Amino acid sequence: MFRVKISNAKLLRDAITAISTLIDEGTFTVSPEGIKLRAMDPSRVAMVDFTMQKTAFDEYVADEETKICLNLSELLKLLKRAGRDEAVEIQLDENTGQFVITMRGKYVRTFRMPTLEASEDEVPTPKITFNAKVTLTTDGFRQSLEDVALVSDHVRMETDGEKMTMTARGDIMGANIELLKGSDALLSVEAKEPSKSTFPLSYLSEIVKAASATSDIVTLEFSTDMPIRLDFKQTYDGTLVYYLAPRIEVE
Amino acid sequence: MKFQELSNLLEQLSHITKRTLMTDMVADFLKKLKEDEVEPAVSMMLGRPFPKWDRRTLDISWTTISDTVKRLSRTDWKEFSVAFRETGDIGSAIQAVFEKNKIHRQITLFESSLTILEVRRLLEAIAAATGHGSRERKERLTESLFSRATPVEAKYITKIMIGEMRTGFHEGLMEIAVSKAFSVPLKTVQKAAMLVGDIGEVAAICKKEGVEGLSKVSLKLFRPIKPMLAQMAENTEEALKEHDGKTAFEYKLDGARIQIHKSNGDVRIFSRRLSDVTKSLPEVVEIVRREVRSKRAILEGEVIALGRDGNPLPFQHLMRRFRRVYDVQKMTEEIPVKLYLFDAIYVDGDSLIDAPYVERRKRLQEIAGNIPLTRQIVTGDPQKAEEFLKEAVDEGHEGLMAKRLDGPYTPGVRGKHWFKIKETLEPLDLVIVAAEYGYGRRHKWLSDYHLAARDGETGEFVRLGKTFKGLTDEEMERMTERLKKIAVENKGHLVVVKPEIVVEVAYNEIQESPRYKCGMALRFARITRIREDKGPEEADTIQRVREIYERQFEKKAKLNH
Repeated sequence: MFRVKISNAKLLRDAITAISTLIDEGTFTVSPEGIKLRAMDPSRVAMVDFTMQKTAFDEYVADEETKICLNLSELLKLLKRAGRDEAVEIQLDENTGQFVITMRGKYVRTFRMPTLEASEDEVPTPKITFNAKVTLTTDGFRQSLEDVALVSDHVRMETDGEKMTMTARGDIMGANIELLKGSDALLSVEAKEPSKSTFPLSYLSEIVKAASATSDIVTLEFSTDMPIRLDFKQTYDGTLVYYLAPRIEVE
Repeated sequence: MKFQELSNLLEQLSHITKRTLMTDMVADFLKKLKEDEVEPAVSMMLGRPFPKWDRRTLDISWTTISDTVKRLSRTDWKEFSVAFRETGDIGSAIQAVFEKNKIHRQITLFESSLTILEVRRLLEAIAAATGHGSRERKERLTESLFSRATPVEAKYITKIMIGEMRTGFHEGLMEIAVSKAFSVPLKTVQKAAMLVGDIGEVAAICKKEGVEGLSKVSLKLFRPIKPMLAQMAENTEEALKEHDGKTAFEYKLDGARIQIHKSNGDVRIFSRRLSDVTKSLPEVVEIVRREVRSKRAILEGEVIALGRDGNPLPFQHLMRRFRRVYDVQKMTEEIPVKLYLFDAIYVDGDSLIDAPYVERRKRLQEIAGNIPLTRQIVTGDPQKAEEFLKEAVDEGHEGLMAKRLDGPYTPGVRGKHWFKIKETLEPLDLVIVAAEYGYGRRHKWLSDYHLAARDGETGEFVRLGKTFKGLTDEEMERMTERLKKIAVENKGHLVVVKPEIVVEVAYNEIQESPRYKCGMALRFARITRIREDKGPEEADTIQRVREIYERQFEKKAKLNH
């Protein structure tokens, strides 16, 4: 038995949008404690780790652990139909295996969508020792990325514990952004040792753009030439974390 | 199995010409594969991302691939062009670029080298990306595929993605290799491949169940089989002689051959090259659903495009329908097509592959409803045959087919059971005005010839076609020498020459074409001989070409724009 109700439909919609930047189909694990999903994008360059505790919902019933796999773009199409203040109820019809979404506003609308075969792959957490930790406003980070995207398709992120620098070099243009301690966008910065790493904007910009709807503050953790961890602080009881592998230069 | 090992094998194959050695090496390789690796490996070796019958396509442009490589290697077009000129092969050029440059690799979260299955998985993901944002996702996937590749892996990934393997190891040799690897008679392998429509899947069956598995293989609905092919006969007389005095003559329509699979209301249509064209031909699906009086069937037919006056339109207009994915409805109105059926390969549980042609035609007649069959006469009378050919040509068709009455359906075989007979258009004497270096084996020779006719009024030479067909290797080599001597301009791979050399050119049709200034182009042009006896001033004129072009329409409808 799985049935939930959430009065703020936008919360759910934004969370699903954030996940769908990386994957087309998502296997959610629902348990008495809440919902979680952890998945890599098909090229295995990035990964999303998402949880939503049962306290984030207005009503939450799940009596045992179940896996539910859904086509996320189809799910989003339906969720987008919910009005601003409409409550959304979701339940799994165990007889048909269908996902039933009910929206209650001026009138009651019920959608049904199929569930897919759940993937059994367990995605491990990357084991990385992070040397740098930077906390930014999500908006400041997003704007910095928009700046560097003008000149290149990748960005080098660098910190010495005092400031964070983002640099991009294109064929003819370059961009350099410095976020200093005490500036509006940079909330905190620490580094056990100076660290720098380069990341593809095709992933990073998409992730940050999608996640910024859910979060005001993001914490980045990285080390030289290692994957970066992006933790977007959620307004509800839950987490939205991404990992993204770097670009490196080889002979 | 690592993808590197497959790449190494392909690299070795491309340097070997001895067939037994090639098949032995591939057979050894196939034996080492795990069950689930067999089909992907075989498909890839033949330059395909997926099995032949598979409907999935990568839908990725060459620009995306080359942009990815350029981005990863930070090179520009120039370096790539130089590499291409040196090797004459896109895959090899990419390998060279990878070897020469520092590659900016996008690593993955859990690093590992590419395996055959991993490459297949990524190709599947590329094919699966559709809809909003799919181009970006395809690019990301392509980038991660290439950034994990070694130079030689990059070479073969490219070849698989663009479908040009060029190792010289073709499907026929693969059948031999599969037969050797799994100790199954070659004939059994070939028959199974013909029925299943894909040698990779046959290899996988061999690995799993051996010869026993193959014996269970049969025709499958919605799995297109290779079409039976016809040889060219000089004339109706030759066809009659080959078929022991009596044969079935049929109109050879100038359309597109299609294979129709039907199971109740579910209808799919495959082109001659076995790609799914169901979406481009909604009215054919409709008529098959409505008329065909059997639950399940595999039928063959020809669709032709019709002009406003009801006469057939030239082939090129029909091809516009096949390529169409958007605005199908509009095209359906603009270029309506008509279906004619001519063969039945499977009807309600009966495979008719081994049935004689007359019986197949009879079964077809029984279930075709109101769909017309191609016009046919069964005769042994040479005069009647000649009249029939003339009739066909007068009605704007290509010519005749002659089908042996007791001939079975032999998929993919170009044998003597079927002949095609055409009235050929008169050849033209044209002048070579420029030439290009070829690809692959021909990359050292000027082997793509630009052909021109003389303008009888101005004396200028007007281009109307290009061909690399007709000359032997030796002739091409000599032609290259001759052309170099009369070169007036070198534009990289293109050499403009003085209009001196005259060649006789055969072709199947003169098409309307925006490519050339004269507005016409030759279809299937091929050089039939070098006219040493003629000077450029004796070449055929563009006015003459136009005359022949116009004459085609006395029988065929012109598309009214």
